[in-house]
Amino acid sequence: MAEPAYTVASDSENTNEEKSSSSPSLPEIAVGIDIGTSQCSIAVWNGSQVHILRNTRNQKLIKSFVTFKDEVPAGGVSNQLAHEQEMLTGAAIFNMKRLIGRVDTDPVVHASKNLPFLVQTLDIGVRPFIAALVNNAWRSTTPEEVLAIFLVELRLMAETQLKRPVRNVVLTVPVSFSRFQLTRIERACAMAGLHVLRLMPEPTAIALLYAQQQQMATHDNMGSGNERLAVIFNMGAGYCDVAVTATAGGVSQIKSLAGNPIGGEDILQNTIRHIAPPNVEASSLLRVATQDAIHRLSEQDNVQIEVDLGNGNKISKVLDRLEFEEVNQKAFAECERLVVQCLRDAKVEVGDIDDVIMVGGCSYIPKVRNILKNVCKKDEIFKGVNPLEAAVRGAALEGAVTSGIHDPFGSLDLLTIQATALAVGVRANGNNFIPVIPRNTMVPARKDLFFTTVQDNQKEALIIVYEGEGETVEENHLLGYFKIIGIPAAPKGVPEINVCMDIDASNALRVFAAVLMPGSSSPVVPVIEVRMPTVDDGHGWCAQALNVKYGSALDLITLQRKM
Amino acid sequence: MNKATKLVVSISTLFRQTRSSTFRCNPIPTIAIINSQTHLRRRESLEPNGLRFAGRVFCSESGVKRSFFKCWNCGFSSEKVAFLFCDSCRSIQPVDDSVDYFQIFGLEKKYEIDDGILEGKYKDWQKKLHPDLVHNKSKKERDYAAEQSAKVTEACRTLTKRLSRAMYIMKLNGINVNEEDTITDPALLMEIMELREAIAEANDSNELNQIRSQVQEKLKQWSDSFVKAFESQRFDEAVKCIQRMTYYERACEEIVKKL
Repeated sequence: MAEPAYTVASDSENTNEEKSSSSPSLPEIAVGIDIGTSQCSIAVWNGSQVHILRNTRNQKLIKSFVTFKDEVPAGGVSNQLAHEQEMLTGAAIFNMKRLIGRVDTDPVVHASKNLPFLVQTLDIGVRPFIAALVNNAWRSTTPEEVLAIFLVELRLMAETQLKRPVRNVVLTVPVSFSRFQLTRIERACAMAGLHVLRLMPEPTAIALLYAQQQQMATHDNMGSGNERLAVIFNMGAGYCDVAVTATAGGVSQIKSLAGNPIGGEDILQNTIRHIAPPNVEASSLLRVATQDAIHRLSEQDNVQIEVDLGNGNKISKVLDRLEFEEVNQKAFAECERLVVQCLRDAKVEVGDIDDVIMVGGCSYIPKVRNILKNVCKKDEIFKGVNPLEAAVRGAALEGAVTSGIHDPFGSLDLLTIQATALAVGVRANGNNFIPVIPRNTMVPARKDLFFTTVQDNQKEALIIVYEGEGETVEENHLLGYFKIIGIPAAPKGVPEINVCMDIDASNALRVFAAVLMPGSSSPVVPVIEVRMPTVDDGHGWCAQALNVKYGSALDLITLQRKM
Repeated sequence: MNKATKLVVSISTLFRQTRSSTFRCNPIPTIAIINSQTHLRRRESLEPNGLRFAGRVFCSESGVKRSFFKCWNCGFSSEKVAFLFCDSCRSIQPVDDSVDYFQIFGLEKKYEIDDGILEGKYKDWQKKLHPDLVHNKSKKERDYAAEQSAKVTEACRTLTKRLSRAMYIMKLNGINVNEEDTITDPALLMEIMELREAIAEANDSNELNQIRSQVQEKLKQWSDSFVKAFESQRFDEAVKCIQRMTYYERACEEIVKKL
């Protein structure tokens, strides 16, 4: 192969890239990329249908990792591994989707510490230190850099095959990603020279594919005819996501979303812990053998595991399905909880569900399939989509739609009406998280709430914006903060502080704050408008630092509403 | 409980007042999505500027006022009341404040509607108006898309719920319902107190569900009374019905929170 055509730009923090540089010339069809925790794929609308690109080894599913073995790091797109274990020598970084945008106090980061490469935490709320073993030295990197190297390879591969530059992309992301994590994905894309047109929660990409299939099937009776209600369950190596969608006439309306960072990686680690004899370091051999056993357990009732760990340590064990399910009981219970929550949020009756769609590697696990069948009271799982390709196909469709491509046969007559995956709100009433826009609100959305001061003659107030589902702020992701100044002197509880949040169709969040006094209808000081997120890495510090500096002096409480 | 002060006006509304009429291409694309209650109370002051009627030609025909709408892009003229989208050149039209939510959904201006048709009609509109679909069009039209689709979303939201629909139809008849008005009826006050207590003391989801179905029954009753009062133009009574509905609606929210 020729010398690298693209290099990764430096990871500097100021991203003032103009979001929609409108080029009036020929529309470039955006490619769809599904960056999975363990595997990636890339697809594009080829004029009549979605085409999934293959790498030089003829693979549609490309292992997500980057090796730092040689002078130039090489990702899974171009790099051929001689053996599965080669990925586990410490020279390769993988599972970057589980690490990106997380701080070193995050349990998901801690769960990554027994991976073969270095994940070091100081447990103070900064980004973890990640390094690959190169010539017996730890070479440091970041999840963004690793992802960018991988994306550059994907881009190069696509450009070679499509014989045109590739710039615009639609990426799928986990439902549970905070807006801060989304900025890290955008950052990695920018480093790889890619411009993000849309970041789609994974199940919504599948919903779009489903909407297209459904529309093609009923194309004769035009209009938005009969609506179909589908539950989409997507569980890969890193994340479990659920969506409820109502589809008609090629429009998929997302009724609710739910997600958590729980996936095949957790199941694998639970199972390794169960199999490994005490005091034996988890080795790469054991990891590969266990992974293989879990795969076979989807077909068989029990599997024989034989691993020679060296030094006289041999594992010889029969693992049966029931035992496997018990070991992972907590993980499966969490899957069930997510599905139940998603159905409740969507306010749908189980009897009204038309299809249950399952995708992602973990959708092959019989226990997971049974959970879905039980909760949704369905005997059959939808068979119309390929569980490992659905997400990238949906992303490619969205790429074509948002690029403004028209299809004479109406195959691209599609639209997704998104809902917010996580609530956004502020800190108030002590340490509580008060949602301003609740989760599963139809996007675009604009909502506001009134707050008031906690001290007499309080002249300033801190607006600290969080995103998430937890009741206290510590359980949520910090997005940013600012101070309102110039509140007129008044007894506590009198000034009215209006906090308004706006999410536009491209999912950008703006926060407005205004100070009003009873009886007047215009703000007493200029309204403050802030685009969020504004936080950087190390945001764990910020909230604590604010707390140390100001205590509760600049706090807010919700203005009581009569019932 | 705090003695609540009367809420004044939300920023979203202020924004509309201060900015939307002068900055048509303002950087906040969804400016028209407004918290529904404040929206209804405040909107009257915003409408008469007439700026939005671009391209609209009025002419009288045999004494009946009829209006034609001209597409800003291709000049195609349409007689459709809800001319949000030009079927001839497929371009999105600027928001026309004289088009009401019922007209958007092709409904008669009646409180009782077949809400089954809302979702389908909503999707049909979004397929034409959603900002996702106009990426390659001009900045002007992208702004129209953001505003129109936001208006359709707000229309759908308003008409779906009984309470907001009731308030909206009253508004169309020139009556602004202030849902924060103090209750003076001691019987109602008593009932609310008891209801709150019942919700607070309920221990399991069975009990809560039971209370909820009772509350929903009440909601239905007052909704029916609203129809009667509204249709016979007894607006004072209609306002009272809405107040009742507001409290039951809030009780429902409270129950759902606890469930």
